[in-house]
Amino acid sequence: MKTLRGLAPFAVLVVAWEIVTRGGLVSALFLPPPLDVARTAWELARDGSLWVNLAASLGRVLLGVVTSVPLAVGLGVMVGLNRRVAPVVEPIVGFFNALSGIAWLPLAITWFGLGWTSVTFIMFNTIFFLVFFNTLVGVRSVPRTFENAVRTLGGSRRHVIFQVLIPGALPSIVAGIRLSIGFGWRALIAAEMIATSTGLGFMIFNAANFHQSDAILVGIITIGLLWLATDRLLLQPLERRTIERWGLVSSQS
Amino acid sequence: MVVTWIALLAAGLGAWSVAAATLPLPDYYLPPPTAVLAAFVDLTAKGILPTYVFASLRRILLAAALGLVVGVPAGLLLGMSRRVADFFYPLLNFFQSVSGIAWLPLMLVWFGFGERTILVAVNYTVLFPVIFNALLGVRSLPPLYANALRTLGAGRWRIVRDVVLPGALPSIATGMRLGLAYGWRALIAAEMLVGAHGLGFMIFNAQSFHLTARIMLGMGLIGLLWVVLDYFLLRPLEEATIARWGLVQR
Repeated sequence: MKTLRGLAPFAVLVVAWEIVTRGGLVSALFLPPPLDVARTAWELARDGSLWVNLAASLGRVLLGVVTSVPLAVGLGVMVGLNRRVAPVVEPIVGFFNALSGIAWLPLAITWFGLGWTSVTFIMFNTIFFLVFFNTLVGVRSVPRTFENAVRTLGGSRRHVIFQVLIPGALPSIVAGIRLSIGFGWRALIAAEMIATSTGLGFMIFNAANFHQSDAILVGIITIGLLWLATDRLLLQPLERRTIERWGLVSSQS
Repeated sequence: MVVTWIALLAAGLGAWSVAAATLPLPDYYLPPPTAVLAAFVDLTAKGILPTYVFASLRRILLAAALGLVVGVPAGLLLGMSRRVADFFYPLLNFFQSVSGIAWLPLMLVWFGFGERTILVAVNYTVLFPVIFNALLGVRSLPPLYANALRTLGAGRWRIVRDVVLPGALPSIATGMRLGLAYGWRALIAAEMLVGAHGLGFMIFNAQSFHLTARIMLGMGLIGLLWVVLDYFLLRPLEEATIARWGLVQR
């Protein structure tokens, strides 16, 4: 029932879209009717090109996550542990964070040429700095009291790291991962338009060259659904579970 | 602290110079810092750089203004009624998930290669997270506060001013920050793809001519401008919510 009510607004939108396009208010060249878009989606799915592009995009996101997240978390914890290094490093990472994403593309193309290396470099950059930053901030924001309490009870440095600092930083780390994949997806779509010949970004940009609005809309809807699915089914539960696990739910939010 | 940063910066520039001079790479792979400085002086003297910086800044500030003036009130208004909010929530959530850059190809078909396409893509990217988070901010307010005021005889306007607006502020600040962060990146990408002035256009165009020093200059400015934007526009907004309402948690 709840999902049904969630879908109702989209039904209204599609009906309005149908009326506007069938009524001839907008040329089909600019906005094809929903049924045409559905037909194009079916065709693209049947000849396999939609799946190829979808798999390419998903694979790139996955590659970006796998290469950058472990490194970012590891480095973030290491730097966060050092009270003298951390405040120096934080603004530097913050700057690269501000720069992350698509702005690296021209330099990436200069260094690695067009293709998957450049795209992976962009993804790595985007995800790495955000997760690094959030891990660092997370570790640093764990109150000293907890650490001192464990120490007083005879806990070693290892205890402090694995039972205080990392669990304490986890909500921030997971929030960073979720945010970074959001930024990563967006950077990927833009990078695919410029630097590759596969992927959903390429698919819609290429379609624009041929004025195939229906194929563009199929791509846009796929991109939106994919991100919503990743966020709803994977990232939000992960975030919620982390927060609940460590009892960090606040009464405010 | 400042001394440490200056020392680090000097060390970084030194290492970069040494690497540029000694690494067996073609010159355009890694130009030395002096080349970037030369590019800065050259482009500033020609007046190209100020024009591009101004073009990019104007576009993002326009989107920020639209977000504040249209996005925030729209989100608040939609959030005021439970029914209306429930209807728009999934739609807004979907549209804020699709980045503006994904709409760019369709905008190209609609408006062609030009300023309008860039503006629509960037404003779209900024607007949806702002509306969505403003709506979310209103909806997540405990009804208790509004009821308390109503019991004491407050009118609708009074509730908006004293409960809804301050209560939604942290969420609005989040939306503005996220929207503009996405928007700034979408702007750079749109400028690359559409190619009409701006820093994104500058670095993308420089790549075709192997003018790597220009790319690095542009990247430095893109990062710097965001830091400035963050510091002068977004921080004050967030700090106003922390200081005044003590509601922001980090």
